[in-house]
Amino acid sequence: MSGSVLAALTAQVAPLAASAVILTALRGRPRAAAATAIAALTLSLAASAALVWRIAIPNVAWVAQAVWLPVQGSPGLAFGVMADPLATSMAFLVAFITLAVMVYSLGYMHGDPGFARYFGFLALFGWAMLGLVLASNLLQLLVFWELVGLASFLLIGFWFERPAPAAAARKAFLMTRVGDVGFLLGVLLLIRALGVATIPDVLAAATGPAPGFKVPLVAFLLLMGVVGKSAQGPLFTWLPDAMEGPTPVSALLHSATMVAAGVFLVARLHPLFAAAPAVMQGLLLLALVTALASATMAMVANDIKRVLAYSSISQLSYMLMGLAAGSVAAGFFHLTTHAGFKALLFLASGIFIHHAHSNEMKEIAEHEPLSQKAGVIGLVTGSLALAGVIPFAGYFSKEMILGAMGEHVGGVVLALAYLGAGLTAYYTFRMVFLTLRGGAAQRGHADPHGAAVVEHEYVFGARAMAGVVLVLAALTLVLGYLGGFFATRLSPGAEHEGPFAIGAGALVALGLVAAGIALAWVEFGAKGASRVGFAERNPAIKDFLANNWYVDRLYNATVVRWALALSRAAKWNDHTVLDGASDGVAMGTVWSGRILSMVQNGYVQAYVAAAVSVVAALGIWLMRTGGRP
Amino acid sequence: MSLHAYLIFSTLLFGVGLYGLLQRRSLVAMLIALELMLAAVSVNVVALTTLTGRDAAIGQVVALILVGVAASETAIALSLFVAIHRASHSIDVESLSELKG
Repeated sequence: MSGSVLAALTAQVAPLAASAVILTALRGRPRAAAATAIAALTLSLAASAALVWRIAIPNVAWVAQAVWLPVQGSPGLAFGVMADPLATSMAFLVAFITLAVMVYSLGYMHGDPGFARYFGFLALFGWAMLGLVLASNLLQLLVFWELVGLASFLLIGFWFERPAPAAAARKAFLMTRVGDVGFLLGVLLLIRALGVATIPDVLAAATGPAPGFKVPLVAFLLLMGVVGKSAQGPLFTWLPDAMEGPTPVSALLHSATMVAAGVFLVARLHPLFAAAPAVMQGLLLLALVTALASATMAMVANDIKRVLAYSSISQLSYMLMGLAAGSVAAGFFHLTTHAGFKALLFLASGIFIHHAHSNEMKEIAEHEPLSQKAGVIGLVTGSLALAGVIPFAGYFSKEMILGAMGEHVGGVVLALAYLGAGLTAYYTFRMVFLTLRGGAAQRGHADPHGAAVVEHEYVFGARAMAGVVLVLAALTLVLGYLGGFFATRLSPGAEHEGPFAIGAGALVALGLVAAGIALAWVEFGAKGASRVGFAERNPAIKDFLANNWYVDRLYNATVVRWALALSRAAKWNDHTVLDGASDGVAMGTVWSGRILSMVQNGYVQAYVAAAVSVVAALGIWLMRTGGRP
Repeated sequence: MSLHAYLIFSTLLFGVGLYGLLQRRSLVAMLIALELMLAAVSVNVVALTTLTGRDAAIGQVVALILVGVAASETAIALSLFVAIHRASHSIDVESLSELKG
C-alpha cells in the first residue's frame, strides 16, 4: 500500500512542482517550460498507471489520510488519498488527456508570447484535477474543486488582452461560483455532522439508519455545485462562451477536467445521492431537458467550437442521466469515452482552426480542409464516436446509459433520451459536412492564402498535433471495450451483457442515429444540398436557438441587471458617503490646522507669555483645589 | 529675617526677570532677564531649605548646580546669538520671526 500512496502523491506533486517552477523561474524560457510540464505530466501518467495497475485492476480500495492540527471536538484539516477503481481510472484519464493536450499545444501555441505561462497553467490545471480526483475527504475535495475553477478561469482568459476572452473567463468563474455556493454549504453541513468528512464515512452515514444530517438537503446543495461545474440546466451558458480560450484548453476543459469534475463528484458520492431519490429524479429531468435543449442549440451554431461545446453539455447530461438512473458504471464509462472523443474532436478542429485562422465552419470549408489529413481523420472518427455509431466508443457507453435508463426509468423520459441520441447524430454530422464539404463547390478556385499559410508552418509542431490526434482517434476504437471493466468494478451486482449485445434498445438507437446522419446528409452533405438545416429555416426559431434559448438575455435582463444596479449603488455609496466622510475629516483637519496655525506667529516673547500664563493658571488652579478635581 | 522676606524678594526678582524677558527686544537683554529669573529660583531653594529646618546642604548643592546650569546655558545662548548676528545682522527678536505658521 505504501508504494501506492507514494504513486498517488507523485501523481499530484509532479504537476504542482512543474507549475510552480514554470510560473516563477521559467517565464522567459518557453522551451524549458514546455519540457518541464511535459516531463511532470509524464511522471504523473506513469504514477497513475501504477495506481491503475495496483488498485483498479485488482479492484481494491483504501483511504490513507493524515489529520493536520487535530483538535478535540473540532473538524481539523485532513489531507489524504482515496484510492479505488473510480479515482484511479479517472486519475489516469486526467493525466493522459492533460499530457496529450500539452504535446498538441507544442504546435498549436507555438510562438505565442505567453507560451511558458500557458504550460504553467496547464500543469496547474492537471494538479488541481488530480487532487480533486484523489481527495480523501470533502474539504480537500472542495479546495481542489475551487482550484479547478481557478485554473479554468486562467486558461479561458489566457488571451486576457482581448475583451471577449476576459469576459468569458469572468463569466465562467462567476457562473460556476453560483453553484459552488450550494456546494460549499453542503460540504459544511457534512463537516458539521461528521467532523472530517472522509468520503467512505459520508457514504456510510448517508446510507445508514441515522445519517446525522438531512440527506436530501445535502444532496441538493452538492448538486448545485455539480450543475454549475458541469454546465447543466440554468447554469450552462458559461460553457459556450468559454470557447474564447485556446482550442487545446477547450479540449482539456471539456474532456477530463473542469466539466467532468461535476460528473465525477456525482459518481464519487453516488450512494449519498441515491439515498435521496427525489433529488435524483430532479437531476434526471434537469439533465434530460439540458440534453435536448443544448442539442437544439448545436443544430444552428456556425462556430465549430460552439457546436462542440453544446455537444459537451448534451453528453454531460447523458452522463448525469446514467448516474441518476442508478448506474455509476454507465455514467463513468460515458465520461471516459467522452473524454477520449471530445478531446479528439477539439484537437482535430484545432488543426482546422490553426489552418484557416477562423472558427467559422464555412470559412474552414473554404480553406481546403481536406488537405489536413490528420484533422479529417480525427474529426470523422470523433464524430462517429460522438454520434454513437457502432463500433466507436460513444456507441457502447451511450448504449449502457440508455440501457440503465430503460431498466430504471422508462416511459417518456427514455423516449426523449433516445430522441436526443438522434439529434446528436444530426448536429454532429451537420458539423462534419459543413466543415469538410463546403469547399467542394469552390475547389476550382481555392483560396491561395491557404497554401501560403502551410508553407511556413512549424513542422515539428504540426507533427505533434497530428500525432496526438491520430493516437486519440485510435483510442476511440479501443475505449468502447472498457464497459465490462467499469461495470464489474463500479456497479457490482448489475449484470453487463458485453459490448455487442444488441437488443431492441440498441437497434432503436442505431436507427435514430442513422436517421440523424441521413438527414444531415440530405440537408448539408449531398450535392446541391441547400446547406440550411430544418431548424434554421424559420428566423425566429433560429434566433431563439442560436441565442441559447435567450437564457443569457434573461439573465442580463434580471440577475445581471440587478447586480449591476446594486454595484452601482455600492459605488455611489463608496464614492459619495464613505469617501465623503473621509474627505470631510481631512478637510476639517486642514482648515482647523490653518486657523490654529495663526497662534504660531513667530514671536518668541509671545510664546513665553503664553507659557508663563498657562503655568501661572495651572499653579493657581492647583492652589485652589489642592490638585483634586 | 524671616522666610517671608526671602520669598517676597525672590518673587520680585522673578517678576523683574519676567518683565525683562517679555519686554526687552534685544536677545542679550532677554538672556540677562532670564538669569535674574534663575537667580530668583536659587534664592527660593536656599531659603526654603535652610529656614524650614531641613538639611541646609541640599539647598546649597542645588543652588550651585543651578549656577553651573546658568553658566553653561549662557555660554550656549551667547554663541547662538553670535551665529544669529552673523546670519541676519540683527539680534532683535521682533525681526527673527520667520518660523511662523
